[in-house]
Amino acid sequence: MAASPSPTPTPANVLEVRDIHTDIGQFHILDGVSVDVPEGSITVLLGRNGAGKTTTLKSIIGLTPPRSGAVALRGREIQGEPAYRIAARGIGYVPEHRAIFRALSVEENLRIAERKPGDLSRRGDFIFGIFPDLKRLIKLPGGNLSGGQQQMLAVARALVPENGLLLIDEPSEGLAPVIIEQMMEAIRQLSAHTTVLLVEQNFIMASQLADRYTIIETGRSVKSGRMADLVKDEETITRYLGAA
Amino acid sequence: MTALWKNNRGLLIITAIVVVLMAGLLQSLEPKVWMSIMLSGATLAALYFLVASGLSLIFGLMDVLNFAHGVLFVLGAYVGLSTFMNPRLLFNTLPFFFVLVAAITVAQHFGRIFWRRIGTERGRRVATAALLLLAAAVLFLALRGFPIRALNAFNITAVGGAVTTAEAQEPMATMLRRVTMVLLAGLPIGLLLAPKQTKDELPLRPVWQTLLIAGVAVVIGYALLLVRDPGETFMLAMSTDVRFVLAIILGTVAGALAGVGIETALIRPFYGNPVTQLVLTLGLSIAGIDLIEAIWGEEGNPPMSPPSLFAANCRSDSLLGWFSEHCQSIDVLGRAFPTYRLFIIVVGILVFIAVGVLLRRTRIGMIIRAGVQDSEMVQALGINVRRVFTFVFALGSALAAMGGVIAAPYLGVFPAMGGIFQLQAFIAVVIGGMGSYVGAAVGTIILGLARAFGDHFVAAGINVPFLDTVIKGSPAIARASTVLIMAIVLLVKPAGIFGKKE
Amino acid sequence: MESTASLPTKSVARQRLGEWWPYLLVLAFLVLFPAIAALTIGDSTAAQPGAGFFEQLVQRAESGYAKFWQGMVIQMLILGIFAMSYDLLLGYTGILSFGHAMFFGTGGYAIAILIGRNFNWPFGLALIAVVVIALVQSLVFGVLSLRVKGVYLAMVTLAFAEMFFILAEAGDFRAYTGADDGLHGFPVPAYLSATDHRTRFYYLALIFFVAVFLMTKRLVDSPTGRVMIASRDNENRAMMIGFNTFWFKLIAFVAAGVFAALAGALFALYNVSVTPSVLSVGRTIDALAMTIIGGVGTLVGPVLGAAIIQLLGYWLERWFGANWTLVYGIIFMLIVIFLPYGIVGTLRARSFRLREGWRRWRKLGDRD
Repeated sequence: MAASPSPTPTPANVLEVRDIHTDIGQFHILDGVSVDVPEGSITVLLGRNGAGKTTTLKSIIGLTPPRSGAVALRGREIQGEPAYRIAARGIGYVPEHRAIFRALSVEENLRIAERKPGDLSRRGDFIFGIFPDLKRLIKLPGGNLSGGQQQMLAVARALVPENGLLLIDEPSEGLAPVIIEQMMEAIRQLSAHTTVLLVEQNFIMASQLADRYTIIETGRSVKSGRMADLVKDEETITRYLGAA
Repeated sequence: MTALWKNNRGLLIITAIVVVLMAGLLQSLEPKVWMSIMLSGATLAALYFLVASGLSLIFGLMDVLNFAHGVLFVLGAYVGLSTFMNPRLLFNTLPFFFVLVAAITVAQHFGRIFWRRIGTERGRRVATAALLLLAAAVLFLALRGFPIRALNAFNITAVGGAVTTAEAQEPMATMLRRVTMVLLAGLPIGLLLAPKQTKDELPLRPVWQTLLIAGVAVVIGYALLLVRDPGETFMLAMSTDVRFVLAIILGTVAGALAGVGIETALIRPFYGNPVTQLVLTLGLSIAGIDLIEAIWGEEGNPPMSPPSLFAANCRSDSLLGWFSEHCQSIDVLGRAFPTYRLFIIVVGILVFIAVGVLLRRTRIGMIIRAGVQDSEMVQALGINVRRVFTFVFALGSALAAMGGVIAAPYLGVFPAMGGIFQLQAFIAVVIGGMGSYVGAAVGTIILGLARAFGDHFVAAGINVPFLDTVIKGSPAIARASTVLIMAIVLLVKPAGIFGKKE
Repeated sequence: MESTASLPTKSVARQRLGEWWPYLLVLAFLVLFPAIAALTIGDSTAAQPGAGFFEQLVQRAESGYAKFWQGMVIQMLILGIFAMSYDLLLGYTGILSFGHAMFFGTGGYAIAILIGRNFNWPFGLALIAVVVIALVQSLVFGVLSLRVKGVYLAMVTLAFAEMFFILAEAGDFRAYTGADDGLHGFPVPAYLSATDHRTRFYYLALIFFVAVFLMTKRLVDSPTGRVMIASRDNENRAMMIGFNTFWFKLIAFVAAGVFAALAGALFALYNVSVTPSVLSVGRTIDALAMTIIGGVGTLVGPVLGAAIIQLLGYWLERWFGANWTLVYGIIFMLIVIFLPYGIVGTLRARSFRLREGWRRWRKLGDRD
C-alpha cells in the first residue's frame, strides 16, 4: 500500500497501468509494472520468457488481480473488480495458446462473446472482412481447426463486442510464417478500429506492428518509449531481449 | 467418414462392444428373458443417470466433486413421499423454510451496511462467530420440542403407529410463535451470507425486488400454516396422479433450493481450493443424512404406491392397451413388466433430451460447455461465470432430487438409498469421463445393463467352461462387479471413455 | 540449520534432544499413563491387600475408570496409527484416497479369519500374514488407482473400497466373513485379551504406535520422502528433475496400506470383533476428518485429531444420543471452514509469534 499514489490519469491514454504488484500463490510475479497505452496505438510488451508479460495482461483483465498498484481504463480505476466486470467495460482478451472453446463450433465461439444479443450479426461483416476463412468454417467444432485458424478465431472472438481495447497474448506463437503474415495483417487492420496491447516474443513482428513498447524484466517494467526509437537502439535490444 | 471415426471413437468402440455382448447374450437367453433384463437395466440406468449427470456437470464446470449429491437424492425422495402420502408434514414445516428464506433475503441485502461498519478483520471474525451462535440459539429455541416424529407417523408401519393429524399438529398459536422465531433466526443467517468485502461479486438486487421476494415468501409461509387443515384434506382428496406430479415438482424444487443453499454457503467461498470444497460436501453428506433422519426418522419406508396411472391390477397387452387400462404391468414378449418402471425409463430419456437441448441450444448451455473447458476464459469474455455455477449446481441437485422422487415407488424410501446411488453414479461418471454429459449417459447405461445382467447370471448361476460346476452368488456379487468394469475402463482409458480433462 | 552454524559447541546429541523433547515428553506420559490412571481414577478396592506395590498397581489399572480410560487411549492410539498412515498419503504425497478403509478393514478381517476357526493359525504367523496381505493388496490397488489423479483417484479408491465392503457384507462368504453380522469372539490369544489384560494390550498398542510413528517420520524425512513431498507440491517439476513420481507415490501408498492394515488388525484384536463397518466409507471419512482436524501433513496433527475425534464421539454420543453424528458433521464442517490448516497446522503458522512471546518472557526473566 506504500506504493506510489494513484496518478491523475491522462485522458489520451486508454489504459494506464501504474506500478502493479501481483502474486500467484506464494510467488511474486510482478514487482512494479507500469504501462501506458495511448488511444489508437499498438503497444507491445517485450521481454524474455517468464518476465511477467502474460501476468501483466492477466492482472489488467482481473484474472490475477494485482495486490497493489492501479489499473485505469480511460481514467477509471478498475483493479480489484471481478474479471467479468472488467471485460464488460470494453476489454477484449486473447489469451496465449489460442484458448478457444474446442467443444463449441466456430459460430458458438463467436456468439458466446456477445454482450448484447445481435452483436455478432452487427459486427459480422467487419470480423469476416478481417478473417474471411472463418466464415467458411463457421459450423466446424473449434477443436477441428488448424492452429492458425484457432488463433484467428481467438482474435475474432475478442472483436465480437465493441471493445475499446484488445489485450493480445503472443498471437504468433507456434504458427507458420505464412500464417504469421496473415495474422500481422489482421492486427494491422483491426488496429484502425481499436487500441491494442500486445505481448509478442517475435521481435521482428513486434517492431513492424507496434507504435510503442514497454520492456518487462523479471517482473518490472524497465523501459518504454516509441518503437521507432527502439529499433535503432541496439544496446537496449541486446541487453533486455537477447540477440534480436 | 474418418472425421466421424476420429471424433466418436470412444462411443463407436463402446457401442460395438455392447452390441456384440448383447447379441451374444441374446443367443444364450430366451428373447423374453433378455428383453426384461434389458428393461430392468434401463430402469436402473435412468435412475443412475439422474444422479450422475448432475455430478458430472458440476465437476466438469467447477471442479467440485459433490459428495452430498446422494443426500439430495434422499431429500427428493422424502419430500416427494411427504407430498404424496403425508401433506400435513409439509403444511407444518414448509412455513419455516419460507419465512427463513424471506428473512435471509432481507438481511443479506442490507448486510453490506452491517459489515461495512465493522472495519477490522478481527471484528468481522468475532461478529461471524457471534452471529452463528445467535442463529443457532434462536433456531434451537424455535424448534425445541417440535413434534416432528408425530407429524411423520402417517402410516401404521412407522414405528409407534399412525398418529392422527389432530393429535400430531401443535396448536396454531404455538406454531405461529415458532414460525416467527424462525423468521428472527433468519436475520443473523442472512447477515452471515451477506458479502463482507466491499468489492465482492454479488451484484446488488434492486430493493423492491428483495422486498417483493421476502414479502411473497412471508405471506406464503404464514398462509400455508393458516390453511393447514383444509389444505391437507384438499390434497388428500386429489387424484394420486396429480399428487404424484406435485410430488415430483416439490421434490425437484426442494433439491434445487438445497443446491443453491449448498453452493452459496459451502462451495462459493472456497473456489480455488477443491480439497476444502470436497471435504465440506463430505461433512455435509454426514450431517445431511442425519438431518434427514432427524426429520423423517431412521426407519425406511416401503415403496410408495405408484400413482393410479400405473396401479390398476391387470396386465396390458401393449402400450396402446395401457393408455386406456392403466395397468400396473405390461406384456413384453410374453413376460410381465411393471409399467411404472417403463415410466422411469421414459423420464430418464426425457431428462437426457431436455438437458441435452439446454446444453446445445441455449446460451447458458453454451456457456456451460465452454466453462467445462476453461471457466477463466469465459470470465474474461465478460460473463459472470459464478452465476452459471450456481445455476448448474441447482440444476444438478434438482435432477438428483427428481431421481429420488421417481425412485420412491420403485425402491422405497430410506436414508441409505443416497449412498448406494451416489456410489454407482460415481462409477458411471468415472467410466464415462468426468465432465462429459454424453459420457455420464453412456456410463450409466453400461452400469445399469451390467447390474441387470449381473444380477440375472449371478442368481441363475454361471456354467464354468471345462468344469462341471455352476457358480452361484448373491446380488452383492453383481453389485461389487461393477467396480471391475470401472477398473477395466481405467486401465484402457484413464480419463474415462469421453474424458478429455488431463 | 542456522543454529548449527552459530552454536558450534552444541553437541549433536543435545541438538537431537532439543528437537525431540516434545515427543519424548508425550511418550513418557503415554508410558506412565496406566500407572497414573491406576493411582488417580483406578478402583482402590480392586487392589488385593498383601500384594506387592507393582501388583496392586496392575490390579487397580485393570479396574473401573482406569480400565475404561486405558481403553479410550488404546483406541486413540489405534486410530492414531490409521490417521498417520492416511496423512502419509494425503499430507505428504498429496494423494486423496477415499478407499483407505479397504486396508484397515482387510487387516481386521485378515487377522480375525486367520486366527479364527477356519484356519487356526498361530497369532504371530497371522500377524505376519496380515502384513503380507496388506503389501500385496496395496501394491495391486496402488498400481491400479495411481494411474489416475486428483478426484478421479478419490472416486476410484472409493469404488475399490466399496467393493470390499460389499463383499464383506455378501452372504456368499458367510463361512469366512460372517456376512453382515461380522465375526465375533474369535480366539485372540489369552495373554493379549483386552478384557483381561488391558494394560498389556495398552503397551502392545503403544509399541505399535511408536514404531509406526518412527517409521513414518523416518520415511518422510528421508530422500524418498522429499520426493514424495515434491511430487505433492508440483508433480510436473518433480518429473522434470528426473524422478518417476509414480514409484514414490506407490511407496507411500504401500506403506500407508500396511500401516492401516496393522491398525485394523489391532482394532479387531481389541474389540474381538469385526463387522463390515470397518470397511465402510465412514472409516475413511474418519481418517480424513482426523487428518484435517489435526492438520494435514503434520503427522502429529492426525494423532491429535484421532484423540479429539475419539473423545468428541464419546461425549457427543452421551449428550446427543443417536443423533450425535449430526452434531459431529456440523462441528467437522465448522473446523474445516474456520481452521483451514487444522489445529497443528494453525499452531505452527502462529508458532513464530508464540516463540517471539516466549523469547520476550525469557528476557524478562534474565533481567531479574
